[in-house]
Amino acid sequence: MPSANKSPTIVRRSSTTPSATQQSLALELPEAKTAVAVECLWLCIHLPALPLEAISQATDDKAWAIFEEQEGIRKVLMANSLAMAAGIVPGFSVNAALALLPTLELEPRDLGCERQALLNLAAWAEQFTSFVSIEAATTLLLELAGSVRLFGGLLALRQRISIELTQQGFTASLAIAPTPLAATWLARIGRRACVRSAANLVGVLSGLPLRCLACPISIYESLQGMGITSIGDCLRLPRQGFVKRFGAHFLLQFDRALGRLPDPRVGFRSPEVFSRDYELNEELSDSQLILNVCMCLLQDLEQFLLQRQLAVQRIVFSFFYLQHPAMHLPLGCMQADRRAERWFELLSIHFEKVQLAAPVISIRLRTGGGQPLVATSGRLPFSKQTKQQHAISIEHLLERLSARIGSESVHGVTTVAEHRPDHAWQSQYLLHNANECLQNTATYETSLPARPLWMLRQPEPLAVREEKPLYQGVLTLTEGPERLETGWWDKAGIARDYFVAVNPKGIRLWIYKNRNRQKGWYLHGIFG
Amino acid sequence: MNEALHQLLKNPRIWRGQVQHESSAWQGIASGYPRLDRHLPGGGWPQHALTEILLEQYGTGELKLLMPALARLSQAERENGSASNDREFIDAAKAGWIAWIAPPFEPYPPALLQWGINLSHVLIVRPKEAGETLWAAEQALSSGNCAAVLLWPEILDDAASRRLQLAAEKGQSWAIAFRSLRALSQPSAAALRIKITTGNQGTDLGILKSRGGRPVVIHDYAGS
Repeated sequence: MPSANKSPTIVRRSSTTPSATQQSLALELPEAKTAVAVECLWLCIHLPALPLEAISQATDDKAWAIFEEQEGIRKVLMANSLAMAAGIVPGFSVNAALALLPTLELEPRDLGCERQALLNLAAWAEQFTSFVSIEAATTLLLELAGSVRLFGGLLALRQRISIELTQQGFTASLAIAPTPLAATWLARIGRRACVRSAANLVGVLSGLPLRCLACPISIYESLQGMGITSIGDCLRLPRQGFVKRFGAHFLLQFDRALGRLPDPRVGFRSPEVFSRDYELNEELSDSQLILNVCMCLLQDLEQFLLQRQLAVQRIVFSFFYLQHPAMHLPLGCMQADRRAERWFELLSIHFEKVQLAAPVISIRLRTGGGQPLVATSGRLPFSKQTKQQHAISIEHLLERLSARIGSESVHGVTTVAEHRPDHAWQSQYLLHNANECLQNTATYETSLPARPLWMLRQPEPLAVREEKPLYQGVLTLTEGPERLETGWWDKAGIARDYFVAVNPKGIRLWIYKNRNRQKGWYLHGIFG
Repeated sequence: MNEALHQLLKNPRIWRGQVQHESSAWQGIASGYPRLDRHLPGGGWPQHALTEILLEQYGTGELKLLMPALARLSQAERENGSASNDREFIDAAKAGWIAWIAPPFEPYPPALLQWGINLSHVLIVRPKEAGETLWAAEQALSSGNCAAVLLWPEILDDAASRRLQLAAEKGQSWAIAFRSLRALSQPSAAALRIKITTGNQGTDLGILKSRGGRPVVIHDYAGS
């Protein structure tokens, strides 16, 4: 076991004056043989200004600050650069800050917003590694050992993460170390270190000041009182005495940081269901601006689905008002899709018809579970049949039509094996089964007499003169009768004699004479 | 003759008094009625264009006029595999959806089947507002899925007919608009305008405007 041999070498190098009787923290450990067995590289992303940046929407042109209530006093927690330049220091009471800079804008700290920003970042970080862990409220850990080759080297990867964080508007300090705690300590004090080997850990950590530990203030103070100011000083203390004074728990932290004890982390898994809110800065009633925000959300959704190779069939937009109940706008499409433009097109068609009850203050986009993305291969450019390529698929066309006109008004038709003319057909909902419909093999007994191409939705009573039916003139019966007497088993039984009739204008009609209670002539169809 | 001039004369927009067009680029959709085909340039309904059918009232034989051609179009996709000669190939190149937009009555599926229409390719759209009829027609035409789009617009002005014509060209589809005889005097961008009149001696067709052809009246078109 090569890793087990490592710890003695560390000891020799790091502990400058170890005495045989006094075993220092950095020295021997009973568990030394269970040291880190698998090479890991942890990148810690520490976001010191998260409270500020989670709220800020790039408003750096004004001096503003975040305040928090501490022991009943509202104190400035963090201020942006303009406010700092004006002399505002974290820890000021709100009144003092306002006295110093009356134009200062103050916002309360929003922990929910910070949490959301951190979760979004964790989801974003999943593109770099399969293991992301949320270490603290402002700290993320990424295990990078497996990703180094793919991203072209550790430093290139760190560079890329750093740049993308800056683009998203976050100030971050990054540090890389073989153990998660060491990386966290380094990042917390803003040291841009990159330690690849556990052998170098003691040397690098020794120089760190104690404040990187984030330990209880009492321990911190007593260590200070002992004249201990750095991690290196700590490491030289005897183990037994250390445990007695500060407890075994605190000691174990050092062992974990140096990689002598395993230090597992809980992995972060981004949610499988997309739900994102967009809080607007002000109330919006202009539909174009609202649509722009929706497009941003759809692009987020596309990114979300792309990372998981998923597509969705249904999404729901919710528009929140200040006083009215929220309005929900569900959108569905026939073929699951992830492309933002496609959803946007559907949304804009729907949105034309929507009446907003009031200006919108917030927009939410939610989806159901995704389904695996089915990719279709494109055609080769020199393929023979390119002429046949359709501008859009039939499913796409049906969605567009249904979105604007209403899905109940867009349908196909099929025949039913029935003798009653009104029951011999039915409309067929196309949107969810267009492809099944294609296999629909409608049949009809062709031996029956010809049927009219146009049917009236309701048979129309015909006037009668001298026992002859009239329709823009006296009708001449040319074919018939065809007697249909059936359907007595349900309430819509019929007993009719059907005729083909021609009126003086030459229009061929399908009429019938009722043989049951409501006697008389009716127009049922036109041969067209 | 000069080659360039020859090419130019093949353009269907150039009307030459004495010759019928036999160019294959201007192949029409056979109507199924030989007497009508003889008077239509390309020997059939104009492809990828707007046809207007003017009639006094719905039901005077306008569907019967179209049924043979629509039946062929709706079956076209199935024939695709066995397409052998050139004529078949032109028809078979289209997927055969047939859209009915805002029909005045119910198209009756058993009758459609009797005429040979493939019901699985029938799409019926019933817009609630007049403006949506034209929108739906334009969408269906330009999507490239519909072999034919039948529409019954309440109003169709010159600009709208031009849009439909362009959409038909874009989607390589056949647009058929049914209008009342009152529209006779209105200008239209349609490639073909036909007036239907019925009488005791069968149905007469009046070709009012025909791109590449000339106006003519055909008596009893369905007769032999």
